[in-house]
Amino acid sequence: MSGAELWHRVQQFLFHEARLLDERRLQEWLGLYAQDAEYWVPYAWGQKSPKDHVSLYYETKSLLGMRVDRLERELSPLDSPPSRVNHYLTNVQVDDGDPLTARAHLLFVEYRREEQRWFAGRATWRLRPNGAGFLIAAKRVDLLNADQDGGHLRFALPF
Amino acid sequence: MREPYSDLVGRGRVHRRFYTDPAVFEEERARIFRRVWLWLGHESQVRRPGDFFTTRLAGERVIVARHTDGAIHAFHNRCTHRGAEVCPASAGNARNFVCPYHAWTYRTDGALASVPLEQGYGEDFKRRMDALRLEPVARIASYRGFIFGSHAAQGEDLPAYLGPEVRAAFDNLVDRAPEGEIELAGGRTVQRYRGNWKLQLENSIDLLHPRILHRSAIDAADRVDHGGQPPSIEWDIVKANSLTLREWDGMQIAAMQGGHCWMAGFLTKAIDENPLQKRYRRMMVERYGEERAGEILAFNRHNTIVYPNLFVNSRVAQIRVLQPVSVDCTEQHGYIFRLKGAPEEMFEASVRMVNTNNSPSSIVTSDDHEIFERIQESLRSGRYEWVDLSRGLENEDAAQGTNELPMRNQHRAWAQYMA
Repeated sequence: MSGAELWHRVQQFLFHEARLLDERRLQEWLGLYAQDAEYWVPYAWGQKSPKDHVSLYYETKSLLGMRVDRLERELSPLDSPPSRVNHYLTNVQVDDGDPLTARAHLLFVEYRREEQRWFAGRATWRLRPNGAGFLIAAKRVDLLNADQDGGHLRFALPF
Repeated sequence: MREPYSDLVGRGRVHRRFYTDPAVFEEERARIFRRVWLWLGHESQVRRPGDFFTTRLAGERVIVARHTDGAIHAFHNRCTHRGAEVCPASAGNARNFVCPYHAWTYRTDGALASVPLEQGYGEDFKRRMDALRLEPVARIASYRGFIFGSHAAQGEDLPAYLGPEVRAAFDNLVDRAPEGEIELAGGRTVQRYRGNWKLQLENSIDLLHPRILHRSAIDAADRVDHGGQPPSIEWDIVKANSLTLREWDGMQIAAMQGGHCWMAGFLTKAIDENPLQKRYRRMMVERYGEERAGEILAFNRHNTIVYPNLFVNSRVAQIRVLQPVSVDCTEQHGYIFRLKGAPEEMFEASVRMVNTNNSPSSIVTSDDHEIFERIQESLRSGRYEWVDLSRGLENEDAAQGTNELPMRNQHRAWAQYMA
């Protein structure tokens, strides 16, 4: 496969992930993750490890599954009415190494209860080939304002 | 004339202005937060001379630093020259604090050491320099390594303010370290919500709500298939909310003088039944002997709530502190301690617990904060002016579980401060 073709396929895969989140197809979204996947949104800028420092999210597939399950049942006050979100990905780069790594800039816009807010960040994925497509082995999102002094209002949908 | 705000606290009820009136909030700053002892940090944050951290004390920006003589000082983060912030960093080690505007330079005890072109300030400047030190916080004191500050020059000393039941929570947190020493580590979480600070203070001792409000998280936990693997600590914490109403109602609670209170622990499963805990228990027995180790580990409290804004969870080595921002905006900061001599995995488990409960992504406390915001909005509606806190009012002497005594006890302390 040429570099251009790989880049195209990875980018299409990332857009697909974003679309599943935006359309709230959360079980399908979860299906993109490997059984041993890690989903990590660090608290500190340049955080080295999720083990010895708090994180905004540090979840296994099982924990993500619990989160998705809750969002889908619509019992949670947090998510009623449900948030509407857009994930925008730009500056996509692919490193065809082992593991296969993709990077992008992420803009996350959320509307809920009379308020629109947005987060900017840098996302990194470790991908595993899976048939004609990929599985996400790890996703990391570094928000520009992860550690802002005043903290954050609660998050509902994953970045 | 000063308004008698204490009228806002009635018998088994409080007036809605208690949560919504900006004038009440300003008075709380003056009459409660500027008068009491508030938690500033932990001595492990300023281990060596020159170590410092910055934080807020009743909304004011302060620096806490260890001076070359070993003493810990706290002062306002405001240059006495033109008022600029002297120290922008959240923590570090410094010989001096140098104001970036005109280089007025202060020592780590706050003393003004030098200014540029000193002769331009006149003959007597050397004498005036002493008064131009960084303004000290009126009082500072430590209990078992926990540093507190107060804007009030007079008042009870720190041990008396805390009282024996609160001191026991700090004692136990420290005693749980096999080496008898703890350190604050792992950063902090900050959850922000647009509601009054007292809503969180009530909620943390409200045993009627978990099973009801956190239903969606509990149900999701119930449906997890662990595939034969032991459940994660994160799962355990969410699941712990699923006690039945009757079980919650049987829980031991206590309300103390000064508005403080505590509730018994309910995380038994997460805490006691894994191999890591057994290994830790053996280390504790080696260090303290069977009897004393048993005593320390049997101390089974969840929250000990130190009025007006601190939550101590001795058993999981965590504390949370409320920083009220305005009448309808509050920050909740979560901190973790490493127990020296304990397996590092215990610290990692504490990190994961704080991620689960006190990150903005928490599937548990997010629902609490959502509710606080709805309360804050809805309280403005209607002609009915009161919020009910009468549960168990006739049975305060034998209060347990869902009795709202600890909340009334908080608000009685409030009324005394605000009288």
